Amino acid sequence: MSVGHVQRAIEASGIPTVSVYVASFGHIPELMSLPRSVITPHPMGRPLGAPGDGERQLEVVRAALQLLTEPEPSIVEMGHRWRPGGLIGGRQNVDGYS
Amino acid sequence: MTSTSGEAASTDEANNDHPETTHQLRQSFFYGSRSDLNFKFLKDLDDREFGTFLSELLGAVSELSDSGDPDPVIDVAYRWQIEAYRGHLGDPADFPHRYADTPSARLDKPLAESRVGLITSSGHFVDGDDPRPFGEENMSQAEAEARIGEFLKVAPELSSIPMDTPGQNLVVRHGGYPVQAVAADHQVALPLGHLRTLAEEGVIGETAPSAYSFVGAASQVRLKKQVAAEWAQRMHDEEIDVVLLVPV
Repeated sequence: MSVGHVQRAIEASGIPTVSVYVASFGHIPELMSLPRSVITPHPMGRPLGAPGDGERQLEVVRAALQLLTEPEPSIVEMGHRWRPGGLIGGRQNVDGYS
Repeated sequence: MTSTSGEAASTDEANNDHPETTHQLRQSFFYGSRSDLNFKFLKDLDDREFGTFLSELLGAVSELSDSGDPDPVIDVAYRWQIEAYRGHLGDPADFPHRYADTPSARLDKPLAESRVGLITSSGHFVDGDDPRPFGEENMSQAEAEARIGEFLKVAPELSSIPMDTPGQNLVVRHGGYPVQAVAADHQVALPLGHLRTLAEEGVIGETAPSAYSFVGAASQVRLKKQVAAEWAQRMHDEEIDVVLLVPV
């Protein structure tokens, strides 16, 4: 809820905002009446994607920023499947990682 | 059951006199003897749900042995995490920070000409710029978890992180969520490089000079009544046009 308070305050001050919530907290944007949010089907602690999955992380950031160009505020659920990134304990899949 | 240490053996012995209840078992994952922030949600399941969770998890593990496909295991943990957080909310009217009105500002220039700011509640800071919670330098992740109750009573500190900070210069510490994914790759919650990429592509005009991170486990009252407005003013002072927020 912390970010919800911050988002509301910034938006109310005149700067457009967008937030990215994982599915477990996907109820917060509606209950806190946040102007724009993207909800990702990711486990808690992995809002933009898995570690090492730069491609997915960037995709989520793009989707979030895209909402700022829409004429009306909205809350959008992304439909992709969660995928591990391979950075922890597995092969190094570091495309797009910096 | 064999124990690998004397301490574990004595604990087992003590527990023979007072067998652990299912309730205590579930609670132990929430800042208890088996603390695991990935599974702290088990506290919120009832015993019947906990049994179903375990049964589904074991079934998926058995399947994994034969199929080699880990997806069902991941799915069980993910589904029950959502069930714990969203399925036990109760009446939405009782949600403590509910608002009826939606603030709405309009972007008055193209995104390709906008300066983009970033705020995350991940608990990152630049190495050497420790926000020193409770005056303590170099607090460990374990101590942050142990002192979560104290964090929840105080206003959060905003750490400024230059947008070109290399990943190896970042530290993350946050007692409220599992940090291992973010510790391995800061862009899981703090997408400095991705915003730089979008600026290079021309999707956004530019990044703000710095991103910001704070520990989201903080006093909600102080945040709502004072801190949030101060941070909003900071965004104006830095002539930021839009802000991306990433809660964890």
